[in-house]
Amino acid sequence: MTPLNLFLLLSALLFSIGLAGALTRRNAILVLIGIELMLNAANINLIAFWRFGPNPEALTGVMFAIFSISVAAAEAAVGLAIILAVYRHNKTTNLNQIDTLKG
Amino acid sequence: MSTNLLALLPELVLTITGVLVMVLEPVIPAGKSRKPLGWLAILGSLLSGLAAFYQLQIVNAQGTLTAFYSTIQIDPFSIFFHLLIAAVVLVTLLGSLDYFESPITHAGEYFALVLFGAVGMMFMTSSVELLMVFIGLEISSISTYILAGFRKGRATASESSIKYFLLGSFATAFFLYGVALIYGATGSTSIGPIAAGLAITRTPTMAILAVAMVLIGLGFKVSAAPFHVWTPDVYQGAPAPVVGLMSTAPKAAAFAVLLRFLFNGTPMLHGHWILLIEILAVASMCLGNLGALKQHDVKRLLAYSSIAHAGYLLVAFTGTHQNAVAGACFYTATYAAMNVGAFLVLSQLSGFSERIRSIEDFTGLALKRPGMSALLGFFLLSLIGIPFTGGFFGKFYVFSGALQNGHVWLGIVGLANSGVACFYYLRLLAAIYSRPTSDSVAYIPVRKVTAPAAVALAATALATLGLGILPNKLVHLVERATPTTTAAVAVQPTQQ
Amino acid sequence: MLAYTIYISFFGALVVLLMPKGSRMAIRTVALLCAIAGFALALTAFVQHGTGELTTVALAPWIPSLGIHYHLAADGITLCLVLLTGVVAIAGVLFSWNIEQRVNEFFAFYLLLIGSVYGVFLSYDLFLLFVFYEIVIVPKYFLIAIWGSTRREYGAMKLAIYSFVGSAMVLVGLIAAYVVAGSHSMDLAALASYRYPLHFQMWAFPLVFTGFAILAGLWPFHTWAPTGHVAAPTAASMLLAGVVMKLGAYGCLRVAMTLFPLGLSSWGFHVLGFGSWRDVFAVLAVIGILYGALVALVQSDFKFVIGYSSVSHMGFILLGLMTLNQIGITGAVVQMISHGLLAGLLFGVVGRMLYDRTHTRELGKLGPMNLSRALPFATVTFVLAGMASMGLPGFSGFVAELMILIGAWRVSPLLAIGVGLGIVTGVAYVWRAMQKAFFAEATTIIDPHPPAPITLPEKLGTGLLLASSIAVGLYPQMVLRLIAPALNTPLFSGLHGGGW
Repeated sequence: MTPLNLFLLLSALLFSIGLAGALTRRNAILVLIGIELMLNAANINLIAFWRFGPNPEALTGVMFAIFSISVAAAEAAVGLAIILAVYRHNKTTNLNQIDTLKG
Repeated sequence: MSTNLLALLPELVLTITGVLVMVLEPVIPAGKSRKPLGWLAILGSLLSGLAAFYQLQIVNAQGTLTAFYSTIQIDPFSIFFHLLIAAVVLVTLLGSLDYFESPITHAGEYFALVLFGAVGMMFMTSSVELLMVFIGLEISSISTYILAGFRKGRATASESSIKYFLLGSFATAFFLYGVALIYGATGSTSIGPIAAGLAITRTPTMAILAVAMVLIGLGFKVSAAPFHVWTPDVYQGAPAPVVGLMSTAPKAAAFAVLLRFLFNGTPMLHGHWILLIEILAVASMCLGNLGALKQHDVKRLLAYSSIAHAGYLLVAFTGTHQNAVAGACFYTATYAAMNVGAFLVLSQLSGFSERIRSIEDFTGLALKRPGMSALLGFFLLSLIGIPFTGGFFGKFYVFSGALQNGHVWLGIVGLANSGVACFYYLRLLAAIYSRPTSDSVAYIPVRKVTAPAAVALAATALATLGLGILPNKLVHLVERATPTTTAAVAVQPTQQ
Repeated sequence: MLAYTIYISFFGALVVLLMPKGSRMAIRTVALLCAIAGFALALTAFVQHGTGELTTVALAPWIPSLGIHYHLAADGITLCLVLLTGVVAIAGVLFSWNIEQRVNEFFAFYLLLIGSVYGVFLSYDLFLLFVFYEIVIVPKYFLIAIWGSTRREYGAMKLAIYSFVGSAMVLVGLIAAYVVAGSHSMDLAALASYRYPLHFQMWAFPLVFTGFAILAGLWPFHTWAPTGHVAAPTAASMLLAGVVMKLGAYGCLRVAMTLFPLGLSSWGFHVLGFGSWRDVFAVLAVIGILYGALVALVQSDFKFVIGYSSVSHMGFILLGLMTLNQIGITGAVVQMISHGLLAGLLFGVVGRMLYDRTHTRELGKLGPMNLSRALPFATVTFVLAGMASMGLPGFSGFVAELMILIGAWRVSPLLAIGVGLGIVTGVAYVWRAMQKAFFAEATTIIDPHPPAPITLPEKLGTGLLLASSIAVGLYPQMVLRLIAPALNTPLFSGLHGGGW
């Protein structure tokens, strides 16, 4: 197995774990963690493709990864603030108990 | 003016105004009205619209502009969306100037966030590099996450916000993963080189997977079924003017990205993604309309209707490149006009506290607020697709594009759906018009419609009417808007 | 000039809407004047127009890049139906003279409906035709939902959904026709002269025909009609049965049959004895005739009797169209006119003269009221209208049904027998309703509150409708001279060459 494939496998695994976590967890923070795993799986992919790609002197992959890391950080900051706001109201971060909006 | 500056002029204007609003916010003493900030933001969005118009003159004279190492491409396509987004933002700001019942201290943030969100959306439409698209997507998403929860102090607000945030970032992850895969398959993240790279790629399966994941990610953003689950909850809890904004402008931007990505970036895979688009379109139309049938909350009802309309929009994608762009552009414009209008009416009627929400609350509204009822009725008729409204011509245009490309079944499913859809809009209309006034309507204080809100309402109504009666002008514009992959973009990104 | 029928009605709707709420009399007068103006224009054109040839009324580019034009034109069929609309419109205003609540909205919707009906009849561009066709749905929905009676919201909703689904089918067919012909033009003549492939016509024809026929009350898609008619206020049921259902039949003839004439030709095989779409629709039409008549025979609600009789009479029209011979189709057009006048009149009697005074439509309750004594004018009117609707000579119904009968006989005696049975049943249900409502054994309980006498507007409306019906009945040449040439214009050449 080539190193690229190994990295791709790792990232796919990470993505799946994140996906499973985001879908099954009921705690908002754990869901957020799952999503972060998915984002970072993509970052691993980007860097692996850059490193083992045909054109490593073009820095596209790294650039993308750096940007996505910083953007994800901004997103997480906003997300945690929102979770805090929710906690202040409902005294819980369990998504099953945050269900006032219904049809 | 350097090309770089010129290419980003509308975004720059918005950013500067947004920063100014944020800086001035703490200068105004607490308890004082934040309205001047609102006016500043309105001025900013107006200027940004003018800047986009200025760009159009330049582009008409000199051809497509590219900037920032060909990551930004200013062509009639992006200018169309710039103008649309600026218009939606302008109308939303006008409509929400008097939305806050008491002068709350953080109203300035609201105006600034709307502007920042618009910057992100504009970036999405003008960039031909997926990295820039990603950044634009995030700027617009983060702003709207916060805006969704802006009715602070209400449980529904923060709930709406967190649901939007979690599913939104979930979608972002899909989008990013898709981009990473497309980078792996083609060695680039720019639209032009992606198309070139796909022709010689050794991993076509990965490319198909990548396109599917990008579609999923953007499918969430445009609330296409089966990725629509967040929409009703979020729209129900978010402030009405914000829903008007976020159900139109970010969707328009995401559709623009899809159009560029699918038609210019991955035309090689047309045979694969067209199937996915068809599935998404049919699912959105059917699930959206069926879901709306049993709703009682008006905002939820309109949320399901927006899912269905995303489906109609996706039908446009089944046409030829030119038809798809023309149809999708026209439909986003009409949808923006009528949906922003409908939510403006809702925000004017029920105010910040949103006292009237369910269909029962709207019974007999026509007797107490005939003008508002007529406007709401007009927007609903446009959403149904009654002639002389933009909604009708939009549907006609989109479906004739799809049929032209041989998608007869899609046309039949879509039009049958619009037959079903009239039921729930008419249910609301029947409540408003044919019954005696309900208690909740009788007891709401009649809020005077202020001048800015009246301007906003008139603008949306006139736009909806104008697009229905004289669509010629816009048809002419969108038929020329098909973006091309310019040679300048197609160079390998080795300049870095 | 004929185009002004549309503009005057729309403008009148706007004026009426903006008039102060209190001035009921002024609002009614304005509405009446608009209706009379439309009628006068239609009558002028009807009289002046010597032949039934096609003449352009208005032509201007609308969306040139898509080949869509604002094209209004009139031929003999159009002229007859526009005149019918004018007559029914005046009668409708006169019969709704007693509307008291939300008067300006009522007449605004009313005039909007009239204007769009004129628009459908006059449109020669299919996009324009569809625009007017769909606009019609909005005012008729509101007229029923706001001013209606029994289960009005249900009736209005059912009607609206049937109409929307029907028009969606039509739209698919029209767009397909437009696209297949090369997306150059939406003009009816241009599309009708295009030779669509046979297999395309084979699915497009039933789609568009059924879409229009839903509005014409084709069995088994007729169920909206009785509930809608019953729920509607008198003027709305008059318009609904009088002209709106005609829009469907007109669309079948003018659009479906001219665009896709080969859709009527033989399939080349037989399924359950049906060899073509023509057989299918002809049989459905006959079922509609018999079904409508038989159900009308057992109804206890007077308005349902009239509602189902409409379904039966509309069946005659559809059957006339499917005979595909000159006399049958001419008969169908005459039947459109005849039924438009008579249905208007019958709904006027039941909805306005009886229901507004006695507040019941139950035949069993109307009988003991001794109506033939209390309301002699209503009684006479109903007897005359009933006789006309049975198809007695001297009235328009006779001419129409005779022509359809002959046309059907030429196609297949079996169909003609069905028609004959329908006519006989028609006599029976009118007779029964008349007997039960007006001439029941009076129990001689003198009502302490006798119903208010018939007002002048009602008498005028009745006179207008009845006179028109008798005029067509006694001098059918008046309309035939216009219809026959219209059926021989190039527009119908495909039909002549097809299964004619």
